[in-house]
Amino acid sequence: MLYIAHILIILNIYIILVQAANLTIGMSNLLTLCQAAFYGIGAYLGTLFLNQFNISFLAIAAIVMTATGVTSLIISFASIRLKGDFFIFATLAFQMIVFTILNNWTTVTGGPNGISGIPSIKIFGLIQLKGIYPHLIFSYVVAAATILLMRNIIRSPFGRTMRAIRTDEIAVVATGRNASMYKTWAFFISAALSGVAGILYASYIPYIDPSNFTLDESIFILSALFIGGIGNIKGPLLGAVFVVVIPELLRFVGLPTDIAADLRQIIYGLSLIIVMFCRPQGIAGVLQPSNR
Amino acid sequence: MLLQLKDIHTSFTNSRNETFDLLRGVSLDIEEGSITALMGGNGSGKTTLFNIISGFHKNYSGSVIFDGHNLKRLPPHAIASLGIGRLFQGGQLIPGLTLLENLQLGAPDTNDNRPLSSLLKPHQTREADLQKKNKAIESLIQLFGEGNKYLDKLYDDGSSFSYGAQRLLSLARLMIGDHKLLLLDEPTSGVNQQFFDTIKSIITQIASTGKTIFFIEHNTKFIRDIADSCAILSDGIITEHCPTDNIAWDVAKPLSYNTLIKQLFHEQS
Ligand SMILES: Nc1ncnc2c1ncn2[C@@H]1O[C@H](COP(=O)(O)OP(=O)(O)O)[C@@H](O)[C@H]1O
Ligand SMILES: [Mg+2]
Repeated sequence: MLYIAHILIILNIYIILVQAANLTIGMSNLLTLCQAAFYGIGAYLGTLFLNQFNISFLAIAAIVMTATGVTSLIISFASIRLKGDFFIFATLAFQMIVFTILNNWTTVTGGPNGISGIPSIKIFGLIQLKGIYPHLIFSYVVAAATILLMRNIIRSPFGRTMRAIRTDEIAVVATGRNASMYKTWAFFISAALSGVAGILYASYIPYIDPSNFTLDESIFILSALFIGGIGNIKGPLLGAVFVVVIPELLRFVGLPTDIAADLRQIIYGLSLIIVMFCRPQGIAGVLQPSNR
Repeated sequence: MLLQLKDIHTSFTNSRNETFDLLRGVSLDIEEGSITALMGGNGSGKTTLFNIISGFHKNYSGSVIFDGHNLKRLPPHAIASLGIGRLFQGGQLIPGLTLLENLQLGAPDTNDNRPLSSLLKPHQTREADLQKKNKAIESLIQLFGEGNKYLDKLYDDGSSFSYGAQRLLSLARLMIGDHKLLLLDEPTSGVNQQFFDTIKSIITQIASTGKTIFFIEHNTKFIRDIADSCAILSDGIITEHCPTDNIAWDVAKPLSYNTLIKQLFHEQS
């Protein structure tokens, strides 16, 4: 049972990450390679506050969301307001920079050794989450809140305009709407949500090191999104389930762990190819990834 | 004068890496409340001229003054917000959005570009959006009458409508915004006779609300019926701009573009 609870917590964290990725890639056509960097900033910054201060989750989340959101603005402006390929390269560079800092700023991040013994988060009235089940329930609450937020965004006039920008940006601009402003906001919210996932992860595991927040991780989140599908709520949800649950099923087949790890990569790769080929909008998505 | 184009020059580089001057000093005044047609051969630069006005093409010299603003340094969305609406050549409804959503997009951007405020003030956002919806329905009734068929199709996907219907509805979308000037790029091209007549009546209706209309068109009958004046773009300049009344239109058969040019030159000389 503990094992299943563990898987479900990880699943909830990935649901948040993949929903966040959908906001940039699925809704605004911005291919980001730095989802894991924001996830990492959230984890490390969250850890810093969990270690040093006696404040509740909401306060830490507010700080982390502001920090990751504002950082996203720097990337937005640096890439000339999200123009084309500049943006992809800017996010790639950012991902590399964050990883390098996490790996080398030993006094703060512990370098490659990471940080262990992170205190768990405290909720209302500073009640500390103790044990796996409170963490499970709490991760459910945060994942559900994320889904609710995404649903509201997709249905709002903002979401409507995002969907329109995705198919015909010029037509939207000609109605007087500032498309880069919309994209900047989408990227901002996406970064902020990824940061929250980082706090959950750090507080639950409770050990982090830079290897959790690499470019590979960013690509992993992207694969989950593309397999599940983009542009709606269901797609990312299904994608997260797929990438988190499949490897666990492989475990039961009884393969040696090193082979299972390789096999997992192969399965992800194959699934991605099969999905792109047979169902470009993903298993449950509504939109096709742009070929631009 | 609502729109003044002064000595506009622009050039492009073709596939053989040769530079050619497409516009070589276009000057034109558009009066407030007027309906002006722009004619010119294929590739003469009509769409490019519209792109210069809308701000999508910035690499030009000369000036575009709209309602007292020099548009040169404004981004396209800011130019649109000054009150310039645009129907793109072959432009259609946006697929993946319902008809209603397409029409709502035509209303001015209230606060939907600030997602946080729209999430924090859901009530206000819903109210503003409801107003856009009502405005959309109002315009549909105004253009197509009570109980028209589009009212039953508000939630159909934009791409489910025929090409001609999408052109009509794109015009309807322009009606919802509060524009001063509409740039219509070949509003009737590719549509059948039935839609042709409807488009004509819609443009007349829009004009009667005081909006200024500047449109690109090849069909001389259409121009004669609705335009106050007609400008000809040829060899990179506006060679003619005169009231349509001064043109001896041949009512029996629509004039060909060449005949019209000849006639205009003949009358001027
Ligand atoms: N972005 C561009 N790059 C290169 N050439 C262009 C570009 N836009 C337009 N042109 C050229 O300018 C010419 C005029 O185009 P356009 O303004 O669309 O003509 P029109 O609308 O009068 O038919 C065309 O011959 C086209 O090759
Ligand atoms: Mg054209």
